Amino acid sequence: MSQPARSAATTPGMLPSAMRIFDLSLGQMLWSRRSVFLGVLLGGPVLLAVVLRIVDTLHASGFKINGAAVGGSAIFGMMVWLLFIRFIVPVLGVFYGTSLIADEVDDKTITYLFTRPIPRSAILLGKYLAYLACTVLLVLPSVMLVFFLIVPTGGGSIGEAFPSLLADLGMLAVGLASYGAVFALVGTWLKRPLVVGLVFAFGWEPAVLLFPGYLKRLTVAYYMQALVTHEMPQDSAVSVLLQVFHEVPSVTTSLLCLAAIITLTLWLAGRAVEQREYVLEQ
Amino acid sequence: MAGLVVADHLSKWYGQVIGLNDVSVTVPPGITGLLGPNGAGKSTFMKLITGQLKPSKGDITVLGEPIWQNPGLYNRIGFCPEQDAFYDRMTGLEWVTALVRLNGVTDTEAAAMAAKAIDDVELTEAAGKKIGAYSKGMRQRIKMAQALAHNPELLILDEPLSGMDPIARRKSIRMIKDWGRAGKSVIVSSHILHEIESMTANILLINQGRILAEGNVHQIRDLIDEHPHTVHIKADQTRALAREFLGHDDVLSLKFEDGAVVVQTAKPDAFYARLTDLAASGAHGAIHEVTSPDDNLQAVFQYLVKS
Repeated sequence: MSQPARSAATTPGMLPSAMRIFDLSLGQMLWSRRSVFLGVLLGGPVLLAVVLRIVDTLHASGFKINGAAVGGSAIFGMMVWLLFIRFIVPVLGVFYGTSLIADEVDDKTITYLFTRPIPRSAILLGKYLAYLACTVLLVLPSVMLVFFLIVPTGGGSIGEAFPSLLADLGMLAVGLASYGAVFALVGTWLKRPLVVGLVFAFGWEPAVLLFPGYLKRLTVAYYMQALVTHEMPQDSAVSVLLQVFHEVPSVTTSLLCLAAIITLTLWLAGRAVEQREYVLEQ
Repeated sequence: MAGLVVADHLSKWYGQVIGLNDVSVTVPPGITGLLGPNGAGKSTFMKLITGQLKPSKGDITVLGEPIWQNPGLYNRIGFCPEQDAFYDRMTGLEWVTALVRLNGVTDTEAAAMAAKAIDDVELTEAAGKKIGAYSKGMRQRIKMAQALAHNPELLILDEPLSGMDPIARRKSIRMIKDWGRAGKSVIVSSHILHEIESMTANILLINQGRILAEGNVHQIRDLIDEHPHTVHIKADQTRALAREFLGHDDVLSLKFEDGAVVVQTAKPDAFYARLTDLAASGAHGAIHEVTSPDDNLQAVFQYLVKS
């Protein structure tokens, strides 16, 4: 049987389609149960910062690690690295990234999107952009609150530390983009993406970073390390950890590699959505 | 004239399970009913003609083009799926507008097209309400609105009357017939013969993944009278309704189930006509939902297969 010609009817392009999916999805994501979980998660560092600030105000002698005074900026740096980069950002990436399409499939609403004249990959892209906007909108205010609560402790100056805050916010956005893209791919490829995502973020990444060799280049965390701008206090546990992770690429190399990771994983995820059949259970 | 949908030795299987088995059929323009019990392959056929599934074997073309991975074709097709799934936090108008925007029209056009479609399905008064607060019948109609808002040539409706009350059902049947008269082609699926028959005489009979018969099948219509037809009615005053039903010879049995009365009738057409009149008069309170289990049709199919 000869193949008939395909429709020449005008359809919106990839980017306009993705932006319309973005419009449709952002509100859904912001008001979802997952965002409540995200709010609770992001409240943790803020609560910790409030406690530290109260302790600092009551004792007025600043914080010390191994007898050495530690400035508010260094504590903020530790919190950004340990709480946000190594925990919250991967968790958000796993929970949101793996569910970009899966949520619509579970809710059986994907049919309405798949039967519109837009490329399926635009649906993934639009939802990815909505994830990015949603998480950035929620994470960055939390980081800023922590910054304003913690940096003044121990006589730190907000004005002096402000440029590093901007760098941190940029780094967090890059982290959210990278982990989100990787887990979007996991979500479109695998049947149990959440488990695989959690194993990747909290099993594979910390494990291979501890060993010398090339395997660490197969992680997002390896490239994220190069973007950390803070001087860590000497002899602290974090300092020891950073010594272990000392082998880091340059900032430029890291940014280029993360851009490549985002592009490649999103492209592969888009192809997977284009070609996969989604059978909705009745 | 070329067929609207042409399936050529079309098969679809899910692992070891066959959903559709070597189907070759040409669906003509106009209104066509796809009739079969649950599990017959209706949904698989619907998913194949809407490009949600890829054929395992054979070919399918819709409006002269392959549908799988051909998103441009969705400008010419409107699909109302079976599942009762929505973005419940959105209002009906917001939801239809958001979906029509995906057809590439401007925001102003999308809002106007959505409002017109909602008006066509007679939901204008509820357009500003959250979909989560809609009744089953309203939800079915808002699904139809999103399917027809971009003025497609072909409407594909999967069990559109499921769960509707008698008045909404009558209105929806009238709407579908009007769309047919207005030149649109419609493929509508159901497991209730008389429902399909009230819209069109052109029927595709499907069972166990195969097309059993196609074309004008009025002759099998008579078979339905030989098999008791069960109707499940959710209403405010089920006992009053039951008393009313008992006064008619065609009612074979009655029973009550959780706010519903379940009736077996030998003459479904006459029964449904009386039920619609009762609902319209409100004489025995509101009738919320009318459903019919597919074992009615299953009995007819068993008869057909045996013969």
